[in-house]
Amino acid sequence: MMLRRRGALGGARQGRKALAVPLCALAVILGPTGAAHAGTGGLTPVDQKSPNVERSTDIYYLILGFSGLIMLLVTVPLLIFIVRYRGRGRSREVEGAQIRGNTRLELAWTALPVLILAVIAGFVFYKVPGITDLEAEASGDSRLEIKVDGRQFYWQYRYPNDVIAIDTLRVPLGQVVELEIGAPESDVNHSFWIPALGGKFDAIPGETTRTSFRADEVGTYEGQCAEFCGVQHAAMLQAVEVMPRGEFETWLANEAGAQRRGASELGERTYQGACAKCHGMAGEGLIGPPLAGNSLLQDRDALEMIVRNGQGAMPAVGEGWEDRQMDALFRHLRRNVAGGSGAEDGS
Amino acid sequence: MAVRVERPTTVVPWNRGRVSSWLTTVDHKRIGILYIVTSLVFFLAGGVLSILMRTQLATPDADVFSRDSYNQLFTMHGTTMIFLVVVPILAGFGNFLVPLMIGARDVAFPRLNALSYWLFLFGGIVLYSSWFAGGGAPQSGWTSYPPLSVYTQGNGQDLWILSLHILTLASLAGAINFIVTIHNMRTRGMTWMRIPLFVWTIEVYSILLVLVLPALSAGLTLLLLDRQAGTHFFIPSEGGNAVLYQHVFWFFGHPEVYIMILPAMGIISEVIPVFARKPIFGYKAIAISTAVIGFYSLLVWGHHMFTVGMPGYLLGFFMVSSMIIAVPTGIKIFNWVATTWRGNLIFDTAMLFALGFIVVFTIGGLSGIFLAAYPFDWQVHDTYFVVAHLHYVLFGGSMFGIFAGLYYWWPKMFGRILNERLGKVHFWLTFAGFNMAFFPQHMLGLDGMARRIYNYRDVGQWAEYNLVSTIGSYIMGLGILAFVVNVVITRKRGRRAGNDPWLADTLEWYTTSPPQPHNFDQVPYVTSARPLRDLRRRLQEARG
Ligand code: HEC
Ligand SMILES: [Cu+2]
Repeated sequence: MMLRRRGALGGARQGRKALAVPLCALAVILGPTGAAHAGTGGLTPVDQKSPNVERSTDIYYLILGFSGLIMLLVTVPLLIFIVRYRGRGRSREVEGAQIRGNTRLELAWTALPVLILAVIAGFVFYKVPGITDLEAEASGDSRLEIKVDGRQFYWQYRYPNDVIAIDTLRVPLGQVVELEIGAPESDVNHSFWIPALGGKFDAIPGETTRTSFRADEVGTYEGQCAEFCGVQHAAMLQAVEVMPRGEFETWLANEAGAQRRGASELGERTYQGACAKCHGMAGEGLIGPPLAGNSLLQDRDALEMIVRNGQGAMPAVGEGWEDRQMDALFRHLRRNVAGGSGAEDGS
Repeated sequence: MAVRVERPTTVVPWNRGRVSSWLTTVDHKRIGILYIVTSLVFFLAGGVLSILMRTQLATPDADVFSRDSYNQLFTMHGTTMIFLVVVPILAGFGNFLVPLMIGARDVAFPRLNALSYWLFLFGGIVLYSSWFAGGGAPQSGWTSYPPLSVYTQGNGQDLWILSLHILTLASLAGAINFIVTIHNMRTRGMTWMRIPLFVWTIEVYSILLVLVLPALSAGLTLLLLDRQAGTHFFIPSEGGNAVLYQHVFWFFGHPEVYIMILPAMGIISEVIPVFARKPIFGYKAIAISTAVIGFYSLLVWGHHMFTVGMPGYLLGFFMVSSMIIAVPTGIKIFNWVATTWRGNLIFDTAMLFALGFIVVFTIGGLSGIFLAAYPFDWQVHDTYFVVAHLHYVLFGGSMFGIFAGLYYWWPKMFGRILNERLGKVHFWLTFAGFNMAFFPQHMLGLDGMARRIYNYRDVGQWAEYNLVSTIGSYIMGLGILAFVVNVVITRKRGRRAGNDPWLADTLEWYTTSPPQPHNFDQVPYVTSARPLRDLRRRLQEARG
């Protein structure tokens, strides 16, 4: 009849078991956290290299603080009750205190979260302007506007002077950089994100999103396309290279000339960003067929057709490219990919 | 001496009979069990998919699966767990329990109920048949955003759409059935403030399903037309709008999250008082908060889309509405904790899962606040932080609740009590493995690891965290294995349960275990939310 009769022994075991719950949980949760060293890792977000990230990280820490508080408010009483009111082998017939509720308590644990959330929401609204409208370092400092296109499976950037860059974006230190993010109409959704420099914004065909950052340390910061975009989504990596201002200006001016003359690395970069992820770094073939030794590479018109319009499982990677980019790619393909090794024939 | 409400078990057990009797059944109990068993099979399938994914992710550059296969794995895993496991298994609990809990003979439309189950099974089979389709299983994620999902080649994506269409019909039929049953078939004396809290959650679950499933159906239809009929609803190059799908999908998708968690919360609200030997603390507060959560869940879908470039006032609106939902959720959590106060706590497996639920679900709720704060969401959206969050809510929440419910009601469903020792092994392995698998994913997300990638850069501590996560998932797998063994052992050798092994409060424990085909010979007049306890006390008084 009785479901179970627990002796004193069983009760003690039960008690220890009850304690094991929280201890285990704590160990499991703190274990990996503790293993993380200073700097990033653990519950520390990425290094912040731009004021907007610093500000959104402030929001993070505020919420983290309140979350810790609420976690304690829930788990500490729960643990105490679990230990204090454990059955200790008492029979199921023994009822606990028949308490049905308490209006004041209900009001308290309604009001407290409301208050906390109001503080959090207020803090977010207070921080938002500093995140979305980055102020210049010195008043009157100009902003650098860059157009970002997410494409299967590379990022194409265009500077105000029409310089084109692929996957790696070079920017000046300390200047506000505004990104206008989109995708060609025939492409799919992507999301541009360099964690150290700011939140992510989607690159959606037919839409434009905007964001800005102001890098405050020279270095290269990596990121990854954050919206699933197909078979090579994981290979869609991007980086921002922050350079001292003078160095950046010089590079940008030189690059503009080089790209006009067809003497830049644009062809190689384009191949690495837009083709190699499917055809291999040396054209050895991967998802797509090998290009090395492929006679199509000698046929400019046929190649252009394929690159601009896609074919079968190959997306229209080159749709909308200007001729100079196509020229640069074609030149690179013929020199470095077509004949396998060293089929140098000029152009 | 124990006073128990026992009825003689002379009736033919309703769950015996030939296979054909299961194929033609319209008995809500059998349909409920069909739902639960089918969902558990899909749960094992979805679990295997996740173990395979974690195996691929154990090291940064593993070569266990190709890109395509990996994309298929996460698409099928997500779709399975949401549409073929959590939603239908909760429908299964609802089916088995709602009529018993409200003292009814069956649901309002038994045949519609049967149709609903068979549609569900059919939808599941259609989804899994996609492995054999040209181009393989669908591979654009369980959210299947266009344009990608329109351009995806092969018929896997079409089968995905078809399957979800069928499942939508199944859920809709089931939901209408629940609503009509709960409104019209409650036994005498069972007012709205006396129905079990689980029934409350099924009521809100059903209303939400009826409200939002049509949105999903509409979105899926447009997607299918875009793929197969040459329309361009979501194709920007032809004048369509890719973001529109996201709005439609999440208008369904966010309430779906509450559809998956509310009944699990209902289960917790049934289990904790019984194993604390107390009434639930704040019945009204919990019931009302259920309705409030249901209402607000319709107003928060935009928080899945903070990165698509919404105007500031919308960002603000969706942040505030999302945060408001935390309040009724908090009310529930505090009331559950208060229910354990001054109780006589009995730590059977059902109770362990319920207590575990409180801890892990609270973590999941709190990480949701980070995601609601949109400037910070811009950082962690579409990263492993979100993966951690949704698993804390859907596994730590829904699945822990479901396991609590399985251990609690198993005796009522099958007449035998699941083995407690194995149950505890199941709980501890699952609890430890779960936290190991998913807590480090918060760190991965904070450190910039995007989701839905089959390999990852070896930077920071990504490799370590991922390895820990993979080991955790294996430990969880062992826990689930313990459950499977438990089920097998219990079938033959489980201890027989009386009508009311837990000395519970609600009407389903008044009838036999398993219940007779017509549920009750007669139903006592209900005078409170705990009719069975009232009855026990009356009997005790009568005996002196
Ligand atoms: C998403 C992967 C992907 C990318 C990126 C990609 N390709 Fe392809 N490519 C393919 C596939 C797949 C095929 C085979 C298409 C078919 O089914 O006919 C192909 C075919 C080709 C062919 C025809 C080969 C033949 O012998 O028929 C050429 C030439 C080609 N690609 C060049 C390029 C160039 C140049 C680029 C970069 C501008 C590029 N591809 C980018 C996947 C890709
Ligand atoms: Cu992408």
